[in-house]
This record gives sequence, structure tokens and C-alpha cells, in this order.
Amino acid sequence: MKNHDNPHEEETPSGVPSSNSFGFTGNASVNLIISGKQSMLSGFQELLQAGFVLICRVGVSIKSLLCDQFGLNPQFVEDRINTIFLDGKPVDNIDTTTVMDGATIALSGAMPGLVGATLRRKSPLASFRQTISSSSTPLKGSVAKGVVRIKIFNILMDELGPLFLGRGLFLSSDALRSFLQKQPTEFWDGCAKILVNNAPEYPPAFREKILAALKIEDAWVHLIVHGES
Amino acid sequence: MDKILRIDMGAEGGPKATTVPTGEYSGLGGRALTSAIVSKEIPPACHPLSAENKLIIAPGLLSGTTSAMSGRISVGSKSPLTGGIKESNAGGQPSQVLARLGYAAIVLEGKPKGDDIYKIFINKDGITITPDNSLKMLGNYSVVEKMKAEHGHKIACISVGQAGEMRLLAASIAFTDTELRPTRHAGRGGTGAVMGSKGVKIIVLDDTGTTMRQPKDPNKFKEANKKWIAGLQSHGVTGQALPTYGTNVLTNIINEAGGYPTYNFKEGRFAGAVKISGEVEADLETKRGGLATHGCHRGCVIRCSGIYNDKDGHYLTKQPEYETVWAHGGECGIDDMDTIAMLDFLEDDIGLDTIETGVTIGVTMEAGLLKFGDGEGAINLVREIGKGSPLGRIIGSGAAVTGKVFGVERVPVVKGQALPAYDPRAVQGIGVTYATSPMGADHTAGYAVATNILGVGGTVDPLKPGGQVQLSRNLQIATAFIDSMGMCIFTAFAILDQPETFQALLDLVNACHGLEMTAADTVEYGKRVLKMERDFNARAGFTKEQDRLPSFFRSQPVGPHNVTFEVNDEELDQVFNW
Repeated sequence: MKNHDNPHEEETPSGVPSSNSFGFTGNASVNLIISGKQSMLSGFQELLQAGFVLICRVGVSIKSLLCDQFGLNPQFVEDRINTIFLDGKPVDNIDTTTVMDGATIALSGAMPGLVGATLRRKSPLASFRQTISSSSTPLKGSVAKGVVRIKIFNILMDELGPLFLGRGLFLSSDALRSFLQKQPTEFWDGCAKILVNNAPEYPPAFREKILAALKIEDAWVHLIVHGES
Repeated sequence: MDKILRIDMGAEGGPKATTVPTGEYSGLGGRALTSAIVSKEIPPACHPLSAENKLIIAPGLLSGTTSAMSGRISVGSKSPLTGGIKESNAGGQPSQVLARLGYAAIVLEGKPKGDDIYKIFINKDGITITPDNSLKMLGNYSVVEKMKAEHGHKIACISVGQAGEMRLLAASIAFTDTELRPTRHAGRGGTGAVMGSKGVKIIVLDDTGTTMRQPKDPNKFKEANKKWIAGLQSHGVTGQALPTYGTNVLTNIINEAGGYPTYNFKEGRFAGAVKISGEVEADLETKRGGLATHGCHRGCVIRCSGIYNDKDGHYLTKQPEYETVWAHGGECGIDDMDTIAMLDFLEDDIGLDTIETGVTIGVTMEAGLLKFGDGEGAINLVREIGKGSPLGRIIGSGAAVTGKVFGVERVPVVKGQALPAYDPRAVQGIGVTYATSPMGADHTAGYAVATNILGVGGTVDPLKPGGQVQLSRNLQIATAFIDSMGMCIFTAFAILDQPETFQALLDLVNACHGLEMTAADTVEYGKRVLKMERDFNARAGFTKEQDRLPSFFRSQPVGPHNVTFEVNDEELDQVFNW
């Protein structure tokens, strides 16, 4: 189902390959904008861990994706994103590892434990996981539009969550509905303004209206969340 | 810390305590001391539950001082679970209290002739050993409550629950935390069964009237401790990730790497992992009025523990750690935090190793006794252990025994001890340590340590294949040193990355004991410990054939990476070839 009022239609062109592992072609059936207290943002951390989808240019290095497209400071990437997985494989060199269409990238800080240390980028213990490490893939110059799933874990959720939520991300309607259904009253109390497909909704009907809009099976939702201090 | 308390539980006329100088064991602490006594004094071929076995409880070399993170305590014996040497360590208060009372170790020897169970009370004035059969078959929480009523709140306790009294192979020894709850356990290897076989239910320590241990060079010690704390607090892992989320912060990344053993090591990823991650756990604890950041002993500056409350905001258990959450989560297919927290509480109370018990439940699920994901069934099984029913006694005897009883092929054990929460097919280097550690499968046997220590014996190219054996060797050597200092191994992350923090640790040891130990000396210290341990195992009948992973790790690939364990036997046999 296509929503012709989608303000992001231009950003979700048919340039996205139709066959990726998420079954997402770039079109959202529902557009949802939630504004509320800054503290409300932490309520979305479960979604960040499970992963969300973004449209981007693929065929580029992980570093290019993070810094050039997502706008992260290279020093922040170096200092804080100490553990990166590409399709479940720990990455050592973000300059030479290429992101392809349909890839899943997980971002984490430095983690404890022998295995936590082993999984870090350029870990002195990297030989422990050599059979699953992501190998560098030379860039082939085939940069194109595509989709990637991003997962954000642990200390990075507070640091990167507001950025991605504020810019907007794509989720399956099933995942978002399941998440919102279990949110307590405090979560909804923290919401100040909600737009469903550009139409404002008003408390106390936030929950019912959103869940009703998300009843579409196998659909995708474009979600933006703004935290206001 | 210049004396050892020896208690002969089988002495004529009743248990008899003798205090002796440390003598030939001077300069040893924690794991080094327990392994030295086991190696020298216990007949390797003895039955682990016989009078010939001994149970040694030893604080680390820095315990009882003002040094941060020095509150680990080691327990050693011949293991009823593995049949080899065992050192299992725990946090909690007793290490600091025992050290301040001046004891380098307590050694329980012999075996009482009757069925009485005993409590041992130790303070600055002496030792009292009394039979108290009212404590029989009490859980750890109840027995500690009774001690609080008798002795007040300024005590620290070391106890066994029903599992220890029944001498089950998965029995742990509980150590009380800062709230005087029995939540910290020397879990691995069934040392609780040895304490139970000695007829000792609880040891109560009271350090009233004692003072902190004084270092030989107070100024240097103070300066080193300042640098030590600063190093720990400034590091991303020890200063941020661990305090914020606890050790269960690992769930998401191990799962993402495909190294999260799921459904009894059948798969490498668990779909429910995100529901039981450390991030979710910490959020739940905070919302319910518990604590997501909490130390397990005074002097801890990392504070990776927490308080887990139930839905009504009442205390349920301490923050379940990563390995505990995994053992009941991915291993058993359970994705409900409250169920896992309840299992953690029950196992702390009954006195069980949470890794061994969780893996054993996974094995019963593989056998078809329960379905994977049956949380209520898992809780009922653990309750059966506490009751001492025939089924409960089988489950409480660990994964190897249970696998045999129920005819399961895929039983993840090395030397009879269940594998922890990292699949050795995905992270092969840890498989080397699982296979070759004298302790049986143990994720703490070779921990992350300072890179300059890792480099001792030759530099390893981290990105070159074939480095696992050398790395595992160096890690095991260095960990043996850390375990002997009484230092929490989580300090390893800061000293891995920050040479100045590692130097601060050396300065602490040197200032405390008037030594001039260098990094190279720590390697020799660690080697000495490992040699004693391997020598004991060899005399107990262990050969290189026990330094192996179960064969299914070579024959059954695990997804999503579809990998098997590829380090060959010849390479494994080189680990201790230094």
C-alpha cells in the first residue's frame, strides 16, 4: 500500500532495489511523528537494539556511511564506536570494509569480558575470532541507493539514538505496533504532539489512534521522534 | 595475613581449630595459595567428598587493604565435578573481613563422624565451632537471616544451601554482599559439595575491632591506589559500560556475533536476546526502584552489579550476570527477565552454580523432559533440586551426569564442567582456553590482560591466523596472577588498554608487600600457579585427552556463520609447552 501524502516520497524513490533481505523497497505506508519530553527518547531504546532500516548510498565503506552519510564525527567513531558488526561479523578496518545493499550493521562501545574485548575493532585478541571476522572488501565503484539495517547497542543508544530518531527511520508496522502496545502510561504521558500521516492526534487518544494506523499487515512505517527539553 | 586457620572437622572429640603461621605458603594469596595447598596436601587420587580432601578459602594478597577492587576470595579443593584441581572465586564482603582478621586462609580438613552440621564463628578474639542442626536444609537466605538475628548486622557469611548439604556436584558456596545477602557465589566445580561433606553449613566472620591492613609503604600505596582508581574510572568499559548495564551488556553483541549458544548449543543466535539484554535489564531495574549500578563489595569502584526487584517493586535477587542470564536465556530458550531473575534467586538460595544448572536444564530440554522456552518448567526443576527429589538430585549433579542419565549426545562440558556463554565455534580462541584450562570449561581462566603481558613470549599478530594457542597461554598465565591478588578480573579491561593502570596495580602489590615485582615477575608467578595445577591434575590421572572440547563442536556447524571448531589437537597440546 502506498501513501501519496508521504512527505518522504522523494527520499524513498524506486532507486532502492526491490529485493533486499528486509523486504523493504523504500516506501512507507504510515508516517508517524512523535514529539515529547527529552526523557521519552530513552523509551525507544528497545527499537534501537532490535534494529531499524535506513535508505542510504551503499557500495561505500563503513566509515563513509557513518561519517559522510550519517554525519558522525570521525573522532567520535574512532573513540566511541569500538565494536562494529557487518552482517554479524566483527569488523576491524572500517575504511576498507564495504557496505552492500541489505546489510545489517551493529554499533557498540567497548565491551567487557574476554570475548567482549576480542570482538573489538583491531583487538589484540582478534585472532580468537578469525573465522568469523569480516574481511576487507575492495570498493568496486558501484555506489547506488540501497537500504541497510542499523542496530545500536549499549552506551551508544543515548549518544546516537536521538540523532537517528530525530532524522527518521523505517520500521515494520508489526515491530512498532508490538513495541507501542506494551508501553506504560508514563510513556504516553511523555508525548506532547503526535502526527499520524500528517494529521494531528490529541491525548488521551494517542495510543488508540496510532495502534489503529499500524494495523496494516506487512507494512513499513517512517518514524520520527523529537525530544524537547 | 600471616596465619592460616586449620579446622580439623574429624578430630577426636569434635572439630578442632588450630592457627599456624603461613610458613612455606608466605607470599601467596587467593588462587596461588589455594592451588599450592591443594597441590601439596591433597592426595590427587582421593575421593573429593572424603576426609582426605580439603577446602581452602583464601582472600587475595591485597584483600583487607584500602586498595580498590581487592575483594575477591578464592576457594580451592579437589573438585567433585571435574575430579581435578579447582579454584573458584567470588566477590562479596568475606574476603576483606577475613583478611582484616589476619587470616591468609581457612582450611577445612577431615570429616565429622556423625550427621551434625556446624557453624563456625570467627572474630578477633578467636574461633567457635558449634553444631547447630536447626540449620539443616535451610536455604542460604534463611541461614544468613538466622545469623543476623544471632550476631547482628556487622558480619559477613560464607555458607552452603541445600545443594551443598546434599553434596551435589553443582553446589556452590555463597558469600554475602554489602547488604548481607548471600548473592555472590564461588559457583564452579562443586566446591559447595566439599564444604557440605565437611559438615560445615556456615562460617560467620566478624571483624569488629580490627583495622585495615597496613601496607609496608603507605605513601607509595596511597599514590598507586589513586592512579589505579583513576585508571579504572576513566576507561570506557570499567568506567561506563559495566557500571551502567552490568555484565549482561554482552548479550546483544555476543548474539550479534553469532556466538550466543542457543537451545543447548544448537544455534548461535537467540531471537529473544533483545528482551533479556543488559540494556533492558538495567532499564527494568531502574524503573522498578532497584539499582542498575551497585558494588558487590566495599571498595569496588566499577559497580557492575545491581538490585533486581519484582513487578511490585520488592527485592527479588541481585542483578543476574551475563552468564546467568544466558544459561537460562539462550541456552534454555527463555526470553523473560522475571523468570530468569527468579531462577537466579532460587539457585543462590539453594546454593547452585548458575552456569552449570542452566546448561543442565538446557540438556534436559534437549532430552525432551521440557520444551525449550518453558520458564515455569525450569523453575519447577530447580525447586526439585532444593527438595532433594531423585530428579532434583540428578539435575543438581550437573550437565555431564544429566546428559548420561537422559541419553543426550550434545552435552557441552569439558572435564565434566559445563561450558559458559560463548560458543567456541564462533570465537575459537576461547575454545582453546575451555579445552586446556586445568579447571575445566571456564571463561575466566584466560582473561583480557595488559598488552605488554600478552606480548611476553613473543608478539602475536592479532590479525594473523594461528595466534589462539599462544594468546590463550599468555592469558591463562596472566589471569592466574590476577586471581592470586584478589583483584576483580573486570579490572583487566582497563589494564588491557592503559599501561599506566597496569603499572599502578604492580605498584600496589609492591608497596603493600615491600616487593619490586615487574611485569615479567607476574608472568613467572602465573606460570608457577598453572604448573602446580596441571601437576595435580596429572597426578589425579588427567592426560591430554581431557584437554579437548566435545566432538560435536567439530562435527556440528553453528549458524549464522556455519562454523565448527577448527583448532586441532596438536595445537591444543602446545598451550602449556612454554
